[in-house]
Amino acid sequence: MELKVLKATITKEFQVRLRAYPVSFMVGCILTSFYTTFGAWLMYHYFFRGQLSESFGSLTGTRDYMSYAIVGSLMYLFVVRTCLNVSRTLMTELWEGTLESLMLAPFRRVSYFLGNMLLQTITTFGETSIAALIGVLFGLRIHDFNPVGFIIAVLLSLYCFFGVSLILGCVMLYTRNTYITQNTLFTAMFLVCGITFPKEYLPMWLRVLGSIIPVTDCVSLMRASLLGGFPQDQMVKLVIRAFVIGTAYIALGMPLMKKVEIIALEKMEG
Amino acid sequence: MKYFIKVLWAEAVKQHRNYFNNWMIYISLFVWPLLSFLSAYYSYSSFNVDGTLISYINGNNILVFLMLGYMAMSFFRSVVQSAWNFSRERQSGTLEYIYLSTANRLAVLMGNALSSVFESSIVMLIFGLLIVFSNRASINVNTISLLVVIFIFIIMALLWGVFLNACFLYSRDTDFLFTILEEPMEIFSGVKVPIVIFPAWAKIISFIFPLTYALEAIRQVMLNGASLQAVSTILFVCLGIIMVLLFATLITIVVVEKHMRKTGNVVLF
Repeated sequence: MELKVLKATITKEFQVRLRAYPVSFMVGCILTSFYTTFGAWLMYHYFFRGQLSESFGSLTGTRDYMSYAIVGSLMYLFVVRTCLNVSRTLMTELWEGTLESLMLAPFRRVSYFLGNMLLQTITTFGETSIAALIGVLFGLRIHDFNPVGFIIAVLLSLYCFFGVSLILGCVMLYTRNTYITQNTLFTAMFLVCGITFPKEYLPMWLRVLGSIIPVTDCVSLMRASLLGGFPQDQMVKLVIRAFVIGTAYIALGMPLMKKVEIIALEKMEG
Repeated sequence: MKYFIKVLWAEAVKQHRNYFNNWMIYISLFVWPLLSFLSAYYSYSSFNVDGTLISYINGNNILVFLMLGYMAMSFFRSVVQSAWNFSRERQSGTLEYIYLSTANRLAVLMGNALSSVFESSIVMLIFGLLIVFSNRASINVNTISLLVVIFIFIIMALLWGVFLNACFLYSRDTDFLFTILEEPMEIFSGVKVPIVIFPAWAKIISFIFPLTYALEAIRQVMLNGASLQAVSTILFVCLGIIMVLLFATLITIVVVEKHMRKTGNVVLF
């Protein structure tokens, strides 16, 4: 791997952010997480007065709805922020007029995207921590912390979200549209990936859709490592499945991105 | 009056040509609300629905309860989008031309809101009506009250849009509009959770949004069979809001025009 490109990308992105960081993006994302948490809190405590359905406990392995929903919303914040940044990198270059010069330079895409991803991860951790603190106020409790599981969940999530970002990035660059593509994907993920409710409640075809998005498994894994109630062998199964799907996304995304870049460059003037 | 309607219609047609030239618009107008609606509906599955305090909500009609919420919200949400689009008039410089013409300002704003209220909500409306119709056994409608409430509801949505448009005659910074009006409106207006059971402080916030009252009236007459007398208080509040919105819009139009004449900044802030 070309560490030089990686380092250069991080330095460049860091400088751009220092000078013109889109704070409204950050605030917007934290607020979205807050509203999701707040909505769940109102529903649980006031609308249904803490009465969970019988199936909830057996499906999730926990009776703590608030922690369940808050962990989901934090993971959602994480994936949205990663996708927003990494997918839009080349699109941003196109907008800023630097795509052409970037393409003239001989560099490895992997290092370039990883550089972006690494920097974004640091920012996202900061944002997620703020959102987690708000979550604690609304009842987020860690019941059965599994440190090994947690580290695996974080690393695997980063790996998988990177894959999802690549594919989304291809769609964005091809359609030259970020507003419609990103929001459609995000609202769809919120529905099918089991963010605030167990995905088993969904009809079959939506469940299938959810199972081909690695976010679903990552959310389950993170919940299992924080809230417990998940047998060890099932966790291993989840890890393997998420890893396989994530790898498929990356293996598909990388060559696809190269193709889309060529099309984007051709259409750039048109 | 004839002239007023001519301007209003011209603006509505212009808006239509501007935004409905691409099928992608339907994704934001229909697919997103539909996905949010489904998410909310399935999140109810985690709970024992019959355990709620609201007497007229049960496992059978909760789908209609939620659908009414999202249907009503799509009207109010579409005008937020229309206001957002209206601010582009300023950026692209066409607002200046409108102000140079003799067109009635209120008619322009109203034409804009009119086109978005009816056009942008139509797909969601049809879908919602299908859902309500297929669950008709679970609802309890008072037809006369419903007709009156729908009439007031549409006027309210329209004037809410006109008012938001008027606000953006003043500034081009529209991002905050989404921050304060998209998700908070969904939560605090009682789209997913009825405001009756809100804690006091949340209730106070919910009173800011006109959708709160309109939605409560619609649900009462469609799910609880409420007579006009039973919803009279809400309807009077709605009429009050209509007056306030109209009055505030007229004042804003005058203030903005004065301000623009003084500064000459029609395209800037």
